[in-house]
Amino acid sequence: MNEGTLQSRRSAPGFLHRLPAAAKLAGALALILIIVLTPRGQWAVLLTAALVLGGLLLASRLSIWFLAKRLLLLEPLVLGVAGLMLLQPDGLALCGWAMCKANLCLLTTLLLSQTTPATGMLRVLQRLRVPWLFITTLTLLHRYLFVLADEAERMRRARASRTFSRSRRFQWQTLSSVVGQLFVRASERAERIYDAMCARGWK
Amino acid sequence: MNAIEITGLKYRYHDGTEALRGISFQVQPGECVALLGPNGSGKSTLLLHLNGLLPEKISAAGAVKIQGEPLAAGNLEKIRRQVGLVFQDPDDQLFCPTVAEDVAFGPQQLGLTESEVAGRVKKSLAQAGLAGFEQRVTYHLSHGEKRRACLAGVLACEPAVLVLDEPTSDLDPRGRREFKALLREIPATKIIATHDLEMAVELCSRSIILDRGEVVADGETMRLLADEALMLAHGLEKPHILHHLHPH
Repeated sequence: MNEGTLQSRRSAPGFLHRLPAAAKLAGALALILIIVLTPRGQWAVLLTAALVLGGLLLASRLSIWFLAKRLLLLEPLVLGVAGLMLLQPDGLALCGWAMCKANLCLLTTLLLSQTTPATGMLRVLQRLRVPWLFITTLTLLHRYLFVLADEAERMRRARASRTFSRSRRFQWQTLSSVVGQLFVRASERAERIYDAMCARGWK
Repeated sequence: MNAIEITGLKYRYHDGTEALRGISFQVQPGECVALLGPNGSGKSTLLLHLNGLLPEKISAAGAVKIQGEPLAAGNLEKIRRQVGLVFQDPDDQLFCPTVAEDVAFGPQQLGLTESEVAGRVKKSLAQAGLAGFEQRVTYHLSHGEKRRACLAGVLACEPAVLVLDEPTSDLDPRGRREFKALLREIPATKIIATHDLEMAVELCSRSIILDRGEVVADGETMRLLADEALMLAHGLEKPHILHHLHPH
C-alpha cells in the first residue's frame, strides 16, 4: 500500500493538481466556511457551491466513481449526526439540510486530499505556524499508515494461507487475534521509532 | 584515548531475561569492529547502550565511555552527537516523508543554521550515493536505497563513532556489495553487528563474538572466523570466503 492507494488511480494531473497546495487549502477552507455558515433555507447558496465543486471535479479529471465510493464510506458518520435531527420538530427537512451541507463539505475535503500530496499540505501547515508537535504527529501518522497497512496485509495473507475452516465464527476469532497482534506490533514499532528519533538528537 | 570503553556492562530486561552479563572491551579510534553472535546473543541490546538508549534509567556506574566520557543522564545529548546509530529496520529510522527531510532531521536537532543543514544533507547524500534523491518519498525507495538513506541520515550528524545493526540483512548481492563499498569509505570508528561473516572478513580487522550476553572471543577477524570449533560452538560457521583463502 502507498499514497496512490488512498488517491484515485485515474488522477492524471488535472487543473487542480497543478495549483499550489496553499491556494487549494485556503480555497477549501473558504468553501467549507461558506457552506457551514449558510442559513437554513438558502438553497441557492448550496446549489452554487455544488456547481462550483462539480466544475472543479470535472477540471481535476478525477474518477467520479472513486470519489462516490469514498463519500459512501463516510456516509455512516453523516447519517449518524443528521439522523438525530429527525427527533426534532420539522426533523425531516432539517435532516435533509444537514446531510446536504455535510456531503458538500466532505466532497470539498475529498477533492483537496485527492489533488494535493500529503507532504505538500504538511508544508503549508508548517508555513502557517501550526504547532510543531501537531505537524510531527501528522507526519508520523502519514508515514506509518502505509507501513502498518502493509503489515496488516501480510498478516491477512499469512492467515488466509492457513485458513481452512469457512466458519464465520472462526474467521471472526482469527481476525480479532490479528487485530490484537497488529496493535502489539504497532506499539513496539512506535518504541523503535522513538529510539531512532532520540538517537539522532530528538529532544 | 579509546573511542569506546565498556567495563562490566550488565543489563536485564523487565521480564527478567539477562541480556548482557558483564561485557568489557575497548575500541580504538578509527577501528572497524564486527560484533558477531547467534540470534539473541545481546548484540542489538549492546548497540543500544552505546547511544544511551538503554538502560532506561542511566546509573552513575559509568560502564560505557565514549571518547573518554562516561555515559550519564546529564551528557546524553553530547554522547548522541558522537555516536551515530543505524537501526536494523530502515522503516523504523526513516520517519520523515522525503529523503531530504529525513537526512536533515539530525542536523536540525543539532541546532545548525538552514544553510549548514542544506550543506550537510547534500554532502551526506552524495557520500551515501543518493545524490538527486532529495525529494524522493521514503516509502517508495527500494530496500537498498532505504538502507543508504538511513546511513546518510546518520552521516549528516558527522559522528565520530558509527554503530550499525545488521546493515546488510535483506539486501540483494549487489546491494550488499555497494553498501560494503560505502562503509569502507567512511573513516569513522565503526562497530557492525552482523550475521554477514563475509562482510566481517572484508571490512573489519577485529571481531568480537557474543553469546548469551557474554564476550566469548575477541581478536583478529581472520583468526577467529577460521576457528571452526569456536564458530560452531557459538551458532556461527566458517565463512565461505575463508575456505578459499585457507583450503584444507
